[in-house]
Parts: sequence; C-alpha cells; structure tokens
Amino acid sequence: MTQIDASNRKRSSGRLMILGFLSPSLAILLFMVAYPIFSLVYYSFFNFSALRPAAGMKPVGLGNYEFLLGDPELWERFVFTGEFVALCVSAQMLIGIFIGYQLQKNFRGRDLLFTALMLPMMMSPVVVGFLWRYMFNSEWGVINYLLTVIGLGKVDWLGQTTAALFAAAAADTWMWTPFIVLLATAAFRGIPETIYEAAEVDGASPAYTFFRITLPMSAPVLFIALILRLIDSFKQYDLFFALTGGGPGSSTETVSFAVAKTAFSYFYTGEASALAVVLLVIIIGLSMILVRHLNKMGERY
Amino acid sequence: MLKKTLSSAVTSAIAICAALGVSSAARADTTLTFVWHAGTCADALMDIAKDYPDKTVKIVPALVPYGPEWHNKIASEFAIKGDAFDFAMWDSQSTAEFAGGGHAVKINEIFDKSSYLKADIFPPASLSRYGEYPDGSGEYYGLPANQDAYGLMYRKDLFEDPKEKDAFKAKYGYDLAVPQTYQQARDIAEFFTRPDQDLYGWGQMGGREYDFATTASNSFLWSFGGELYNPQTFEVKGYLDSPASVDGVQAYVDMFKFGPPGSGNWGFDEVNAAFQQGQLAMAMQWFYFNGSNADPKVSKFADKTAFGVLPGAVGRDKKFRRQFSVGGQGMGINKYSKKLPELTKFMEWYFQPEQQARYAKVCQTGLKAVLESAEWQGLNSYNRQFSTALAYLNDYWHLPEYPVLLDQLQEEVSNAVSGTKTVQQALSDAAEKHERTLQRAGYDIKRGDSTPEVPDQKISPVGVDEVVVVN
Amino acid sequence: MSRSRTTGIDLAARWLFIGLLILYTIYNLGPIFWLLISSFKSRMDLFTMPPKIFFTPDLSGYESVFGVGSAKDSASAFGVFESLVNSVIVSTVGTALAVFLGTLAGYVCSRFNFSGKGDFMFFVLSTRMLPPVAVLVFYHLMFAELGLADTRFGLILVAIFANIGLATWIMKGFFDGVPQEVEQIAIVNGYTRMYAFLHLVLPMVKGGIAATAGFCFIFAWNEFAFASILTTTKAKTLPVKISAASGATGIEWTQICAAGVVLIIPVLIFFYLIRKHLLMGMTFGVLGRR
Repeated sequence: MTQIDASNRKRSSGRLMILGFLSPSLAILLFMVAYPIFSLVYYSFFNFSALRPAAGMKPVGLGNYEFLLGDPELWERFVFTGEFVALCVSAQMLIGIFIGYQLQKNFRGRDLLFTALMLPMMMSPVVVGFLWRYMFNSEWGVINYLLTVIGLGKVDWLGQTTAALFAAAAADTWMWTPFIVLLATAAFRGIPETIYEAAEVDGASPAYTFFRITLPMSAPVLFIALILRLIDSFKQYDLFFALTGGGPGSSTETVSFAVAKTAFSYFYTGEASALAVVLLVIIIGLSMILVRHLNKMGERY
Repeated sequence: MLKKTLSSAVTSAIAICAALGVSSAARADTTLTFVWHAGTCADALMDIAKDYPDKTVKIVPALVPYGPEWHNKIASEFAIKGDAFDFAMWDSQSTAEFAGGGHAVKINEIFDKSSYLKADIFPPASLSRYGEYPDGSGEYYGLPANQDAYGLMYRKDLFEDPKEKDAFKAKYGYDLAVPQTYQQARDIAEFFTRPDQDLYGWGQMGGREYDFATTASNSFLWSFGGELYNPQTFEVKGYLDSPASVDGVQAYVDMFKFGPPGSGNWGFDEVNAAFQQGQLAMAMQWFYFNGSNADPKVSKFADKTAFGVLPGAVGRDKKFRRQFSVGGQGMGINKYSKKLPELTKFMEWYFQPEQQARYAKVCQTGLKAVLESAEWQGLNSYNRQFSTALAYLNDYWHLPEYPVLLDQLQEEVSNAVSGTKTVQQALSDAAEKHERTLQRAGYDIKRGDSTPEVPDQKISPVGVDEVVVVN
Repeated sequence: MSRSRTTGIDLAARWLFIGLLILYTIYNLGPIFWLLISSFKSRMDLFTMPPKIFFTPDLSGYESVFGVGSAKDSASAFGVFESLVNSVIVSTVGTALAVFLGTLAGYVCSRFNFSGKGDFMFFVLSTRMLPPVAVLVFYHLMFAELGLADTRFGLILVAIFANIGLATWIMKGFFDGVPQEVEQIAIVNGYTRMYAFLHLVLPMVKGGIAATAGFCFIFAWNEFAFASILTTTKAKTLPVKISAASGATGIEWTQICAAGVVLIIPVLIFFYLIRKHLLMGMTFGVLGRR
C-alpha cells in the first residue's frame, strides 16, 4: 500500500520536477538559440545585406552554398582550421593530463602552484592576443630575444604560415591547458585511494596504474573536457585576428574568421549565414559523434 | 558560504548602480554620442567640446579600436537603424557604404538651413574626399573633420651628417636629400641599411589587417602610373594588373629588403615603434601619428625626426607622378539620431575657426579659414608638409563594395609581400576577384579594347614630364 | 606511495617529471610575468632591445585604465567606472543565473530518464557550438526590436546563453557522482524528492557548484564578441572599453598590459572566494578523496 503510494508520488513529482527544472532553461534556449539558428538557415537562402535593406532580399536558393563550396579558398580554410584544432587539442590534452596527474599528488606548495597555473585561463582573450603579438614580434619580442640568447636565429613568427600556426597554437595552448589541468586534476583526485592501494599490493608499476586505472576511470570527464575544447578551438578566430590578421594572404584564416569577415566587414548577411550553417553542421556532426561515444562510455562504467 | 558571497556581490553591485543612476540623471539633458577610435584627435575633440557654451549638452565618446571593429560597430548600428550614437567619424572610403545604404544624413540639407555651415567653408577637394557620394554628384554625407595623408618621416641627423652625405654622393653620384622619387628612396634606403648597426633604410606597413598593406602599396602603384580600376566601365583587369601597376607594387615589395627582417607583416604601430627606437632612417607613415613621433616622451629620436612628403615615381612611360593614399575621417551623422537640431547647433559651433584652430594644433582640420591662416603652417613641425601633401592625395574605390574589394586586395598584396605569389600573379588574382565581386553585386562591366589612363586629375595630378620637387 | 622500491629508473622518471613540471610552469607563468612588468614600462622601454628587466616604473598604463592622473582628460577616461559596474553586474548576475539553471537542468538530466533527454543535453551544448559572430547580427536585430540593445539585461541574457551549456554539463557530471540511494532513502523515510534535492543532494555538490561558477564567471567576465556589438555606451563592459585602447601613438601596449592585470583581479578574487570548494568536490564519476 505505502509502497505503491510512494512510487506513484515519486513518478508524478518526478514529472513535475523535470518540467519545472527544465522549462526555464528550455525557454531561454528557444529564445536565444532556436531563433538565431532559424534566422541563419532562413537568410542563407537569400542574397541579402542587413546593412543595405533597401536592396531587398533576393532568393538565391542554394546559390550561397554553391558559391562557397565551389571556392577552393574555403577548403584551404577548413584544412587550416583542422590543423589548428588538431594541434591545439592534442597539445592541451597531453600537457593537461600530464600536469593534472602531477598536481593530484600532495606536495608542499601544491595549492599555490595550482592556483597560479590557472592564471592564463582567467585572462581576457583580447589582452591575450595583444600580449602574444608583442612577445612574438620578430624584432623586439621576448621570444626571439630568448632564441638569440641561446644561440638560435630569429624566427618571423607572425609573417609565415607555418610559424604563425605554431605561434597561435602556442598561445591557445597556453591559455586553455589550465582548463584541462583543472578538470583532469579533479577527476584524478576523484578516484578512490583504495583502488590504488589494491594495485600497489598487486605490484602494479606506476605506468600500469596510470594507463589501466587512472586514465580509464577519469575518461568521461576528460572526454567532456575534450569536447568543450574541440568546439571552442573550432570557433577560434580572434587570436588570429590579433596575431596575423589572417595573413600572409589568407593562409591563417580559420573558417570562423571568414564568417566574422563576411558577416561584419563585408556585411553579406546571406552569404555569412550560409557559411555559418556549414561550420555549424561540421561542429554539430563532430560533437554528435563524440557525445555518442561519451554516452557509451558512461554505460560501460 | 558561496551563495552568501554571490548574493552580497549582487546586492552591492545593484547598490552601486542605483547610486550611479541617480548621479547620471542629474547630469546633462542632452547627450550627443560619437563613435571614433581612441587617440589624440578624439581627446582633442573632447577637450574642445568641454567648452561648448550650452552646458545642457554633453558630448559622449563611444570609442572603438582602430581597425575593423570600428567599421563593424558603425555598420551594425546602422543595420538595426539604431540611434546608439548620433555622429561618427568614419574612414573616407566608407562613405559610399553608409550613404549608399541610406543611413547617413545628407549634409546638403544642413548646408541649406544653417547660416554658418556651408559647403564653401571647406576646401572643395577636402569636402569631396570626406563626404561626397557618388563621386561628382555634389551630394555630401560627411564633413572633413579630420584630414590625413600618407607621409614620410626621416632621421634629420642621418640626412644632415656630412660624412653620410659624402659617402652617399661617392656611391650614388648625387646629393643625399629627401627622396623625390621611389627610385631615389630605394638608393637611400639601401645606403642606410646596416643590419650590424641595427639600422635599416625604410619602414612601411605590409600587414594583412584592415588596410595596412594596401594603403602603402597603392601609393606606389599610383605613382608608377597604375590604377585600381576604371570607375566608368568598372573594368579591373587591364588596370589593377597592368604593367605599370605591377611596377608599382613590385617597387613596394622590394622596399622590404631595406626594412628589418620580418617587417612584412607590420602595421602602423610596429613602424612607429621601430622608428621611435631609431631602427629606421626613413618610414612611410600617416601624418596622424606625427604628433607622437615628434614627442620626446614617446620617441627617443623625437628631436632628430623630420617630416616630409612621400616621393613620387617616374613610370615606364617616363612620366612623373606623385600620388599617395588619403587617410582621415569625415564626420557623418546617423540618420536615425533623434537629436539632429542639437547636433547641428553643436557642429555650427565646433566648425568655427576658433575651435578648429585648437584642433589643428594636434590634428588636421578641414576648415578653410584655419588652413589658409598665416599661423597654421607653423603650429607644429609637419603642417607645412601636410599642406603640400594635400595636393597629391588619391583614394580607392568609392563604392559600397569597398570592404570586400579592400579585403581581397589586402589578401593578394600580402601574398606578394610574403613571396607566396609573384606580384603579377597576385594582382591578376586580385583583379579576377574584384571583377567577380563587382559582377555579383550587379555591376555591368563594359570591356573596352584599350585601357586609357583613368581621368583622376580631379583628385590628384596625372603624369608630368619633369620631377616636381617638393619638401 | 610510501614503501616503493626506488630503482634507478623510477628516480630518473621522477626527476624527469619534476623537470617537465618546471618547464610547464615557466611556459605558463612566463607570459604572466612579462605582462606584469610590461604594464609598468613606458612605450620607450617596451621596445628596447635587449629587453629591460630593471627600469623606472611608469604608471601611465594604469592611469589610462582608470582615467586618472595624466589620463584624466583623455576621451578614453570617459565612463571607466560605469563599465566596471556594468561588468560586475552582468558577470555576477549572469553567472548566478546560468549556474542556477544549469544546476536544475543538470540534476534532472542526471536523475531521470525521460524521452528527449539526449536531445535536450545536446541542444544545451549547442549554445557553445554557435559561433558568436555568426549570430550576432540576428541578436542585434532582435535586441533592438525588444529594446534590449545597450542594456545590462540584454548582456545578462547573453551571459546565461553562453554559459548554460557548460553549467548543465558540468553539473550533471557532479550529480552523477552522488549515489541515487541518497534520494531513495529520503523518499522511503517520507521526505519529498524536492526536499532530498535541496537538503541532501545540493550540499553534496557545493564544490561542483563553486567550480562551475568559477568557469562561468571567467567566460562571462571576459565576454567580448557580443558586448562589443550589442553595447555602445550605457551597458559597455570593461573588456570592450579597454580594447579601444589604440590610437595616438599606435597601440597603447602599456595600457593594454595594465588592463590585462586589472581585468584578472576580479577573477582572482572570485577564485579566492571559491578556493576551498574548487578541488574538494570536483569529482565526476565517484566520490572523491576528501
């Protein structure tokens, strides 16, 4: 009797709770996400500039998409974006996991060091761009100065495509590795001590413990961190804006950079929308694969 | 604990803003907001506006960074027909875009109504440069509030050093002096390029950002007899990639050999910094920055710096031309502003000679009465050269598609500077992209059999047989 | 880790790890150090080679940021305090609301299986996938229509939008770490689910809330793309205000560096306030070491 009652009450209160807890978020999301996505898709079928409303909206069907996808430069941008994302995300994950693993151990001054290492992430991205541009300057940048001190030649960091790619990746990695460090440290510390003790009793080597216990057990968190970083670095454009302005030529323009340019400098609203839709489809597709993988991982543990 | 901190932060923040709300309500009745980039000239405008007799009117700056955000800010406000600002200084070439979109007040209407603000208080060329759209129509959408031109700065101490003079004469066979042609500039730059002393002959912008590379390379391109396009037929091919244009841009690209290594992506700031550190014997720079380049607090070599007019060039047709990029901003009015009467009153006061003379001490006014006054040229160490420079200005496309055309040319010039493409290849690609852009925008390109020199004498002089010496 | 057999390899590995950690610390903190000393350099010292470590400090950067001293009369000095207030309000309120909503949504997604849950989770995350530049024009149009342009309320909405995805996902992770039994026992004992949530589960994820708030605050405080277009004067935030620092002498590097130092302080204060919770409760899958 009470049993049925309780489960009944639980179910109805659960439904109420789902509704009550989700609806505010849902409302905001509909207002702030659905509307712009709808607009993006809608305007992507028009030749339209929000700055020249008098010129009207000329429906062009898939014209914007055809123009963009037929432009070889767009593919170069995708390749460059891919290189940048791969470089950044792998560097950040590797360094982040390594540093996180070192910081989960208790040692003197750890908390202070931990907080200090979070500093880059706290900085304003606007300032970060300028700071690295200043440090990467070929003539009076401190990085080239240090290179000459240790006997190496100066590098034209921001004027050449490959060097600029590494420069930007170094800046992005500098800023966002702490994000991974924070999440990784927390995840590692979340693994119960008893598991480690058991492993030690079995005589497992530190490497074995790390790869067979620590990493798998913290994988879901690391995966969320990976997804977030992947999405964010895909959207990166302001760093390139500050460092290279997209040059030389357009060789350091990311896709997001091109969206920004088309939307605001050119004010080609229709074309920019189409480009944004293409970018969005790619990001959503990638995230979907990762999230599905994450869900599977969740089921396993 | 956390909730408490958060909530106390929120309450205190709200308390602060409530306090502020009270104080701001007690302030001026009318605020006139303007958009501009920060700097000496915005400071000067604010400083002058403080003395505006009508104390119920307050001028509020909405500053933006120099570069695309500046254009984007104005454009996006126009896109929503918003009145967040009342007037703005925008780059001369943006007039077409903003006026063409129907967002700027036609100043002719103000000229008609006002007793003081008339077209004839400004030099006709300046008014045309900073406000006319379409070209030659007599319709104005901006006032020449802040003129600017590309100029030259050089190290007086090096140019006047007898030892250097003798050595130069011995090597090149003519006297060391401020260059009149880019051919001479090349010699002098080569002469002063001494990497072991950390001294280089020539500094110029080559950056991909905004208009950095283009404004510099255009100055070469025009001087060598090249053209960007034909405004009558909208042909770009045959103009932008003509042999004369290639000569000009090639000369520009070659000058990087006499700049510090890695200077190919420099913007205005890097050029200034290198010059202020004494790394450069000559540099191409906007007159706008001369105030700080002549400031001993900023530049180690302020007292050794002199300013001049940029060289011209003798083109392949043996004609001499001197043309360089116009800079500066017109003052335009937001059509959606609800404060036009108050703003007109303010402008009638602001463009009085008294106020503009104050402005001219640090920045470049466009008011005829001040420009023609006896003392103007002596107000600082560069106004005299600036008055000469005004005769040689040229501007790029006065078309609403300007941002697209600019970005495409920037891209290709940057390719040429970095060596990714040859100059010929880069300019051909740029011409191709430009024509495609114009066609997509609905222009009808009328291809002619010949490519006559564009009649640009309206803005600046065409080729002459003799080198015209200035400075 | 106590009674380990220290072999030569282990020792070498340990020193290698310490070396790498030091190397990373230099990479991590070097630029911060450079920012700090550059913020006190005059323009002349900034470009001197070799770089100066010792120099006469120049406070003009900080004076410009706050619009005091030598920068009192500059146009950039206008409205610095107002921008600071805007930034504080927008980022604290925005963070609080985003964390609040994220906590509710994260709890429901952690505890219940309902149809469309996966879609909802993905939809929430999509807020992070939208490139701000792509949708800015539409926001601007929409905000103008609704009278939200250049208002703090509008920016708070943006802050919620930008952070709700992160907040929901991270909070769900934390709730996943709290055993289901907590609520089951409470319900068996006659308490409502709501009671269990408020009085039993929430206190257990305090640390998670703190960490989430930390992240959200960082993003909200530093948000630039939206604020630069959606605000002009009234609701302008500090990063936007400070980014306009280029002009007379070129780019005002000293001022930008000073701004970087100043802008990081509120975030540091925030992190100081939540420091105790930060690592303690950051456990996603399982209950952690306390």
